[in-house]
Amino acid sequence: MNTISEIIGLNWIVIGPTLALVATALILLFCTITVETSDTTKKVVTISGIFATLFSIFLKFGLFFTDGTSSYFSEKILLDEFSLFGNVLLGLVLLFNFYPIWNSSYELKEKTTEAVILTLMSTAGFMLMVDSENFMMLFIGLEIGSISLYALAGINKGSLLSNEASLKYFLLGSLASCVLVYGISLMYVSLSITGVYETTIAISFIGAENIPLTTLIGFLLLIIGLLFKVAAAPFQSWAPDVYQGSPTGYVGFMASSAKVASFIVLARLCVVSLGFTMDKFELFFTAVIILSIFVGSLFATVQTDMKRLIAYSGVVQSGFILSGITSGVNGTSASLFYLAAYVIQLTGIFLIFSAITGELSSDFSMDNLSGLFVENKFITICFSIFMLGLAGLPLTSGFISKFILITNLWSYEKYILVFALMLSTVAGFYFYLKPIWVAAIDKPDAVVSKITLKLNDKISIGMLAGITILLGLFPNILINISRWVIQNYL
Amino acid sequence: MDVKLIGLIYTLILFPLIGAFVIFIMPKRRSELFQPLALLLSMIPFSISLYLFSNSNSKSAYQEFDSINWISAYGIKISLGFSGMSHLLLSLTSVLVLLSFLSVTEKYSRSKGFVGSILILHSAVNGVFLSGDLLSLFIFFEAILIPMYFLMGVWGGENRRYATIKFIIYTVFGSIFIFIGTVYTGIISYSQNGTIALDFVTLSNITFTTEQSKALFLLFTFGFLVKVPLFPLHTWLPDAHVEAPTAGSILLAGVLLKVGAYGILRVSIPLFTEGFIEYRFIIAVLSVIGIIYGAVVAIAQIDIKKLIAYSSISHMGFVMLGISAGNLLSLEGAIIQMINHGITSGALFMLVGFIYDRRHTRRISDFGGLKITMPKYAAIFLFTSFASIGLPGLNGFVGEFMILMGSFSTFKLLSAVAAFGVVLAAIYMLWAYQRIFTGEIQYEENKNLKDLNTRELVSVLPLLFLMLIIGVYPTFIEGYVLNDAQMISDLVQLFSGGLN
Repeated sequence: MNTISEIIGLNWIVIGPTLALVATALILLFCTITVETSDTTKKVVTISGIFATLFSIFLKFGLFFTDGTSSYFSEKILLDEFSLFGNVLLGLVLLFNFYPIWNSSYELKEKTTEAVILTLMSTAGFMLMVDSENFMMLFIGLEIGSISLYALAGINKGSLLSNEASLKYFLLGSLASCVLVYGISLMYVSLSITGVYETTIAISFIGAENIPLTTLIGFLLLIIGLLFKVAAAPFQSWAPDVYQGSPTGYVGFMASSAKVASFIVLARLCVVSLGFTMDKFELFFTAVIILSIFVGSLFATVQTDMKRLIAYSGVVQSGFILSGITSGVNGTSASLFYLAAYVIQLTGIFLIFSAITGELSSDFSMDNLSGLFVENKFITICFSIFMLGLAGLPLTSGFISKFILITNLWSYEKYILVFALMLSTVAGFYFYLKPIWVAAIDKPDAVVSKITLKLNDKISIGMLAGITILLGLFPNILINISRWVIQNYL
Repeated sequence: MDVKLIGLIYTLILFPLIGAFVIFIMPKRRSELFQPLALLLSMIPFSISLYLFSNSNSKSAYQEFDSINWISAYGIKISLGFSGMSHLLLSLTSVLVLLSFLSVTEKYSRSKGFVGSILILHSAVNGVFLSGDLLSLFIFFEAILIPMYFLMGVWGGENRRYATIKFIIYTVFGSIFIFIGTVYTGIISYSQNGTIALDFVTLSNITFTTEQSKALFLLFTFGFLVKVPLFPLHTWLPDAHVEAPTAGSILLAGVLLKVGAYGILRVSIPLFTEGFIEYRFIIAVLSVIGIIYGAVVAIAQIDIKKLIAYSSISHMGFVMLGISAGNLLSLEGAIIQMINHGITSGALFMLVGFIYDRRHTRRISDFGGLKITMPKYAAIFLFTSFASIGLPGLNGFVGEFMILMGSFSTFKLLSAVAAFGVVLAAIYMLWAYQRIFTGEIQYEENKNLKDLNTRELVSVLPLLFLMLIIGVYPTFIEGYVLNDAQMISDLVQLFSGGLN
């Protein structure tokens, strides 16, 4: 049994961000249900909680630079470059998406802080997930994050679509979690593997060719569980409905945080654990990637609802990111760049959507954009930048990420994937330019009236659009960061 | 190289962008100032390109003058370079941009977006002609799409949505092959140099195997040929030309089609000569089909703009025939024909724009007898038609004659067939002239048409002057293309000699 001093002696900084978020959420919960607290106090608590989180991420960097890659809490928690990258990205997603969530939580009757608490908890879960060394920790993190997201999807109780989204997300999501847990248990049964590094050791011990089939199936199921979260085809069917039904102000956060966490974990699995065994999964991954870009492109071209369109475009983008992660270490670094650039654009787009129709609306038909340019020049320009970034036009971050990714794929001699991915960008130009046409070029009779952006939204949207352009012009910083993440595994 | 000169060249790329920014921040109520301001703003790139054109350096073969580190982790640099051919095309671009600003009516010139888009387009096109590596070439090549999307989408004709999307999809479809080719070249360059060096100087020292050369030639050439366009890939062009506003058509025909041919001359042939020798016959056959097909379809057109669009396919077929023949004379002819086509079809689209502003129709059958009411217009149109047909003494003759002369030594039968294209050109241009300008005035609306005013005359006459100059004194333009043509034809000769 641990004594008190042993507990205090543990390195709490490693799970500092998670702890800070959970503590903030609990304080908020306590405030809401017990004592009458003013909104200002709650706001101060939340914002200081978020900054405490960011500060503890900063402290984790300090720990990492003194200790290097190491495991904590009896090999449950891992501190490596992937977890730091994931923490920073999740922190930024929370920071940029926090305001619309906070803002709209007042419109929800008697639930003023519920949405905020769920958001904080979800980020805490996903941060735990990217920090996990042990697969059970991974599962716990994933569940904390996902269950909060299921609730967030249905937070707008009055809306039928929101309820539908929540239920669908919950049912399909828990099915995926079951698959994931089953995979973890199969791995434990066959080789007693419980963690990322144990897998590496076990595989190197028995040799890549002697891995039992049960373990491979276990891995496959674990990967499928993660692929579900990133909405790669054929596990994408929940995404369009959930995106469409969930409150617009929350979708940016929901989509980005789940994708970031799952992709980081997937990248770590592929780079660290599987390494030499990756060729056993090559066929599976190739099929998933090609199916993702095919299904995503095909369905995105016919959508009239913008949120569904973004969901299907997300399927395509998941295919892109997955193609880098599964093809090698350098490809993974390209994918991390891609992931960061994509999350920035995604967040920006949903901030714009929620500014146009309000944070709690569900549908976002393309008509909501018609003639946007007439009265809202700033929003339209930023929206076009994000869409062109997603399409991968030069001078935006989307182009750089595609260029690096394709270069790496070509150097791994994955020619079929390259052609398939590039063909999907042609379709991409069709469906990403269509909303720009509706917003800026069409001359409809009724145009969207002037939208007064709140200062925070204006700053956030402007900053994200600026980052999209700046990363397209000066990509070196992010490229170096993404290469730093994988440098030990080269 | 001279620092001053480098500064001027950067100005050539960046100044139109700054100009567009200036236009965008102008207050909307002073919209009458947009046109003079745009003219003033495009005067500066115009004078710079003329200055560079007259510079002693400008007739040189390809030289790189600057390179900047861009993606340092991958060792990727942005390089800039030029040769005599780029100078010709840069000057052509700035002349056409200046004149198209002059030629547009108030409907267009009072719109910020229109003026700004053309300025951004100018910047991107200058970037293409000055780029010294594959990546920046690709970036500027793609950047052209955005201003064109808005130019055609916002100010286009009835069917603009279909035409714009078709244009974008075709170009993007072509450009993904250029992109893949760039990546492939980068990987080969990495295996030989240790960095992904993509600048033309480094690439010209890399040895590609025959297979690589063939594959890369196909990838790049396919992408560029969509833009040219060569025969089976041409279907976007008539739609785009017809639906684009007049200034858009002028720049599309005058400049953007040349981007494709420029890419082939700068990238496909010099770097992947073996592939070129392997596939040049196919390109030559397709160009001859394009020459005849474009001309025959042009005869049958009832819309003047569509007629000129199909004639562009025919003329660009000549350019591609000259390029695929690959000897000194035909290459010189091809580059000169690129310039000629830019001037002539630019002028023709401008003229069609003038009549469209007056009558709001482009159907040939709606006119007839315009010579009576618009004598100046008729004279200018006839002059331009002659230049387009290739009447000796005007520019068209020089280019087509050199192409046919040169290609005859390589492809005898094909050149003989292509020569019929000139005859067909005479049929469609002169028949159209006859139907529009001669005879009695049939329609009431045509009786009161005003002849060209001073602004319109000023915007079209410089082009006529250029047609005449190139026609009677081609040596002056030949000096600029000699080095490029020499370099390419030497390479072609070297590799085809090696194969025999």
